Amino acid sequence: MIRYDYNNERPMIMHIDLNSCFATIEQQARPMLRGRPVAIANRRSEHTCIVTASYEAKKHGASVGMKLSEARKLVPGLIILESDPPKYRYVYRRLMAIMKRYSAHITMKSIDEGIIDFNQATDTIQRRDLRDVGQEIKQSLIDEVGKAMICNVGIAPNRFLAKTAASLNKPDGLDVIDHTSLRSALLSLQLRDLTGIAKHNERRLNAVGIYTPIEFLDADSDTLTRMVFKSVLGTQWHRRLRGWEVDDVVYDMKTVGRQYVLESQNLSKEDILRRLHHLCESVGYRMRSKGRAARGVYVYVRTYNHDYWHRRQMSPLPFYSNQAIYAQAAMLFAQAPITGIREIGVSCYQLETGASDQLSLFGDQLARERQITDAIDEINKRFGERTVHAAHTVGTDTLVRQKVPFGSTRYL
Amino acid sequence: MMDDELFLNERIEVVAVFGEGLNLCRPVKFRRPNGREVVIVEIGLRHPTNAGLRTMHVFEVTDGGTDYRLELDTERLTWHLTREMDHYDSL
Repeated sequence: MIRYDYNNERPMIMHIDLNSCFATIEQQARPMLRGRPVAIANRRSEHTCIVTASYEAKKHGASVGMKLSEARKLVPGLIILESDPPKYRYVYRRLMAIMKRYSAHITMKSIDEGIIDFNQATDTIQRRDLRDVGQEIKQSLIDEVGKAMICNVGIAPNRFLAKTAASLNKPDGLDVIDHTSLRSALLSLQLRDLTGIAKHNERRLNAVGIYTPIEFLDADSDTLTRMVFKSVLGTQWHRRLRGWEVDDVVYDMKTVGRQYVLESQNLSKEDILRRLHHLCESVGYRMRSKGRAARGVYVYVRTYNHDYWHRRQMSPLPFYSNQAIYAQAAMLFAQAPITGIREIGVSCYQLETGASDQLSLFGDQLARERQITDAIDEINKRFGERTVHAAHTVGTDTLVRQKVPFGSTRYL
Repeated sequence: MMDDELFLNERIEVVAVFGEGLNLCRPVKFRRPNGREVVIVEIGLRHPTNAGLRTMHVFEVTDGGTDYRLELDTERLTWHLTREMDHYDSL
């Protein structure tokens, strides 16, 4: 049975999205790039993938994840730039500062999108038409960062529909979805346009005869729960599509990791180990910057044959230093396949806060290691990243460079 | 091509205005070691970046034909031209 129990409350969630974020920022920074097809990559190599493409490049078929060599064939005059994280972090902070003028309840979902919850804003702000507020935010971004900085704003009763609204009229839209306009907004979309519906979920929906967002909206909760998602996710989707909030959840940090696509196919195992060591140093620094120690290390390898190899190991006591992480990662990596490695990655898991209270026979040794590690971190904070690092990782700096992570704002 | 960017480390002389508005410090023109003077017609973006605890301000500017990246070291009060981005017509 179809039930139209839409959330008919006033839309109070605003989603702000800087589309083609890095490319737009580069076009802002470099006026001569405006109106030209631009692609941003993390490294200067033909095998690297596009991280962001400008609208001009997208028009010719360039997309995120496409190899540079492929994009170059598709887009005449494509300008490829290496990503410049400090620049993007600056714009991210400017956007965040603008959003904070309206509510203390803002959430940055990633480096290029944020949410303002007006439900807990002041009365003065709540009394305003949120369309005007959205317009004001768009103008502030232009005034305070630059005239090329256009963004999309979506307003709706929940996070999901606000994001959907922000995608309706790219690249400079301002749209509202409420219970009266929900069906008409979904009419113009495909299933895959909905956040959270990719190939796999689309197939599941198709299997029960759901081919459009409207059919998805009209599906009853039982069908979604029992036949499509086979879990509570079905009920969540049923509520989400109707404008009820199910995504206001803060997830705890469970792992810290980094990966690296090797720059060449012909690296020796020792060369790969040096890059792995660099990743461990980076993971260790990130983990400690959040005041955590780890109990487990996970290492993976992807090969050119699309094979995926991984190993993990738990330790009886939490560990903290780069050396401890690398010692375990190297031990695990010794079991990895040695040929055709394309990508390596390392993560720390079972994160714990602060020092362990457990007494240990090696307490003094662990305390000393912690003090040395803290001193090195302090030096690196003061004089610049990787001022002090393991001799083993000399020469890897230009290769395994820190880039901006998508989907997380933890380290921005 | 990536080669539209030329990486440099030239110490430059800069005429800048310190005032109000979006950019409190606005470089107006600069002179390169070869004597060439460049007049800035637009500041695309100014953003801070860090070398440890030392703050550098990066100004990405254009003279209308070429984009430049200037860096102001706030500790040493020196300006460097670190990138020149050109060759758009040949692309």
